Amino acid sequence: MRPTLSDSKRLIIKNLKKEFNGFWALKGLNLELGQGEIFVLLGPNGAGKTTTLKLITGLLHPTEGEIYIQGIDIKKEPIKAKSYIGYVPDEPFIYPKLTGREFINLVAGLYNVKKEDYEVRLQKLFKKFDVGEWIDELSEGYSHGMKQRVIMCQLLLHNPELILIDEPLVGLDPKTARTVRQTFLKLRQDGKTILISTHTLSFAREIATRLGIINHGELKFTGTLKELAEISGQKDIEEIYLKLTEQ
Amino acid sequence: MNNFILLVRTKITALRASISTLNLIRTLSFIFVFGTFLGGSYYFFFRVFNYLMSVEIIGPVLMNKILQMAFFIFFIMLLLSNVITSMSTFYNNRELQFLFSLPISPGSIYLAKLFENCLYASWATMIIILPLITAYGVTTRAPIIYYPVSIISVIIYLIIPGAIATGLIFIIRRILPKLKSRDVILLLFGLILSLTFFYLRVNNPALLKVFATENQQDLLRFVENLTAVGGIYVPSTWLSHIIVKLSQGSSQSRFYLLLLLSVTSAIMIIAFYLARLFYTRSWVLVGEYHTRARKKGSPLNRYYGSTKTFLLKDILIFVREPIQWVQLAIFFILLIIYIFSLRKTPIYFTVPVWRTIVSFANFAYICFILATLGVRFIFPSISLERYGVWLIGSSPISFGRIIKIKYLFNFFVAVVIIEGLLFFSNLLIKTDPGFYIILPIIGIFVAASLVSINLGLGAHFPQFNEDNPSRIASGTGGIIAALASIGYVGITIVILALPAYNYLSNIYFRRPLNYPLIILSITGFLVFNIFTIFGPLYLGIRSFEKRDI
Ligand SMILES: Nc1ncnc2c1ncn2[C@@H]1O[C@H](COP(=O)(O)OP(=O)(O)OP(=O)(O)O)[C@@H](O)[C@H]1O
Ligand SMILES: [Mg+2]
Repeated sequence: MRPTLSDSKRLIIKNLKKEFNGFWALKGLNLELGQGEIFVLLGPNGAGKTTTLKLITGLLHPTEGEIYIQGIDIKKEPIKAKSYIGYVPDEPFIYPKLTGREFINLVAGLYNVKKEDYEVRLQKLFKKFDVGEWIDELSEGYSHGMKQRVIMCQLLLHNPELILIDEPLVGLDPKTARTVRQTFLKLRQDGKTILISTHTLSFAREIATRLGIINHGELKFTGTLKELAEISGQKDIEEIYLKLTEQ
Repeated sequence: MNNFILLVRTKITALRASISTLNLIRTLSFIFVFGTFLGGSYYFFFRVFNYLMSVEIIGPVLMNKILQMAFFIFFIMLLLSNVITSMSTFYNNRELQFLFSLPISPGSIYLAKLFENCLYASWATMIIILPLITAYGVTTRAPIIYYPVSIISVIIYLIIPGAIATGLIFIIRRILPKLKSRDVILLLFGLILSLTFFYLRVNNPALLKVFATENQQDLLRFVENLTAVGGIYVPSTWLSHIIVKLSQGSSQSRFYLLLLLSVTSAIMIIAFYLARLFYTRSWVLVGEYHTRARKKGSPLNRYYGSTKTFLLKDILIFVREPIQWVQLAIFFILLIIYIFSLRKTPIYFTVPVWRTIVSFANFAYICFILATLGVRFIFPSISLERYGVWLIGSSPISFGRIIKIKYLFNFFVAVVIIEGLLFFSNLLIKTDPGFYIILPIIGIFVAASLVSINLGLGAHFPQFNEDNPSRIASGTGGIIAALASIGYVGITIVILALPAYNYLSNIYFRRPLNYPLIILSITGFLVFNIFTIFGPLYLGIRSFEKRDI
């Protein structure tokens, strides 16, 4: 079990750079996230959003720079740092030959989730995300949205402090999308920190406490929606986005 | 036809791209491993042929028989491996969804895929056949023209099993559309093996009798009886005729080459028409039969500690993937047949020296079996994490732990297999008592090393874009793992052969025991195994931890 929290800075990124065979996907990114923040990364395709999230989870290794989660250097103590993170990739991959339930149990095992009232919590989550009988079928037959919902359930079950989500709404029906939105707001109230990459601007507008505009591997602007509106001189989030990602 | 050429060109471009991303060290080690293997097998065949050339009367006859027998066995094995690979090339393959959505005729898709499939199914055979025919050519002093023509003939030959296997699959899928992939494979295997058995029974009864004779006369009769291994109606005989006649510079080879070429074309045309008629429809149907069965009683419907949960997941996935356990089951059936065939102890096996040589050969054979199993089942196990790498990479479990879990489990299974095989086979051979004790101990080291080589190299060369374990095992990394495993077994046998010989001479001929030699070999074996057990695992863990997923 992980120790209790002391540091209020959930995530600190210092001068993060990533090179892929001579191509700089990330050119020196700095970011700090505190408790109870929902930070939304916006940016065009290929801007470096997925790369950033994967670097924080340890799926990619930084070419340069440092990442601290809960004050823990991810390079020095990766396992400890990872126990605070929950990650949802852009493609919801599940082993095709496992059922949704088995997959969730696998994750619970890997994260050493506490066993008391596990079943009760699981049932609650299933109800919340409208999980039906299909949870006991092999996931090879699932639709995109079904897989997304399984992944949301496993994420909330292991109760991470820092949640990283790549494109959370793709493939979800409107009802589930609303559930996801409400869930994020609730998590924020509980003091969790959420970092989201998305292209859904309305979603960003509704839940973000802060936004970041990333382009060509650089975090060009960060701030609340209001601050970004002032910088760009636009009102509507779509106009703001287009203005700030120009050039 | 243009479409077909385009598809093939795309494949070749993709292949070239993947080769150009190999770095220099990898390329060199690849060339080195390959070169050693080809060179080693060439040397082996050369020695055998050279020896046979010097044996009067029987020698050259036996050489031809070896060619015929080898080509016949290759043919059957290629049929079987083509059945397995084509099930995934032609049905369970993501690329197909894309291809079928293009305005390309199913015939073109078929031809392009057939080409790919033959490559996948036959590379292993090819790297044995090449040194074999080269060695044959060199020992018989064949003319230069022998080399290119025989290689071209082999390539034409390799297409036949591919075309037959796919043709049969199309027919079965047409007649029984609801049959699961697993059952199609089982049905075809049953068909092919029983036909082979039947054919050999009718055509060549001598082949199925164990080589059980001591005197020269009987031996010659036995060899003569082998004249028509497989008979004149099978392509393997034509191929061996082409090669033998070519090496003699006889123009008769042209007749057989023409025969081979026309039969190959005919079979391909038939398969092509079957594809045009049945392929699209059967492909669509296969996609529709997804099982929606509930897994209520699954042991993973609750969870345990990380180790046990992870292990359970591996086992469940294995059991639910027909392509995995069907192949494992086939392996076991073949092994059981092998073990029982040892029961018919031929006459000269009763001579103690022979008996012990046989038990050493049996040990080597069992090690090779384990090596093959390792490449096929352990090497792909890291690549098969494809859908879970994001989870493994982001969850608080180290990759070293994952590897250790997989290692210990596979080691346990490997030990059970090798000890079981050794126990029963040694019992049936009635091996020397000393061997009873020492071989199982060595077996533990062999298991530990082979699991490490295949797991470690599997982590070093992961292939996360492929679902099919057979194909992962026959990719670049798989080939390297196969050659490394076989190399390991070869070196082990070489290290142990001398002291084993010394030990036997002591027992049967009262020669003195050469203690320095025995101690040196055992030390050498242990040191060698320290490297082969820890080296590959270390390499795999290190390179995986540094990898960007
Ligand atoms: N493994 C890789 N190898 C080489 N280049 C890569 C790799 N992963 C990402 N890139 C490159 O890095 C850049 C950033 O990619 P990234 O996936 O982070 O973009 P993104 O912001 O998530 O885009 P999208 O909105 O399309 O998801 C792209 O130009 C991409 O081509
Ligand atoms: Mg992305």
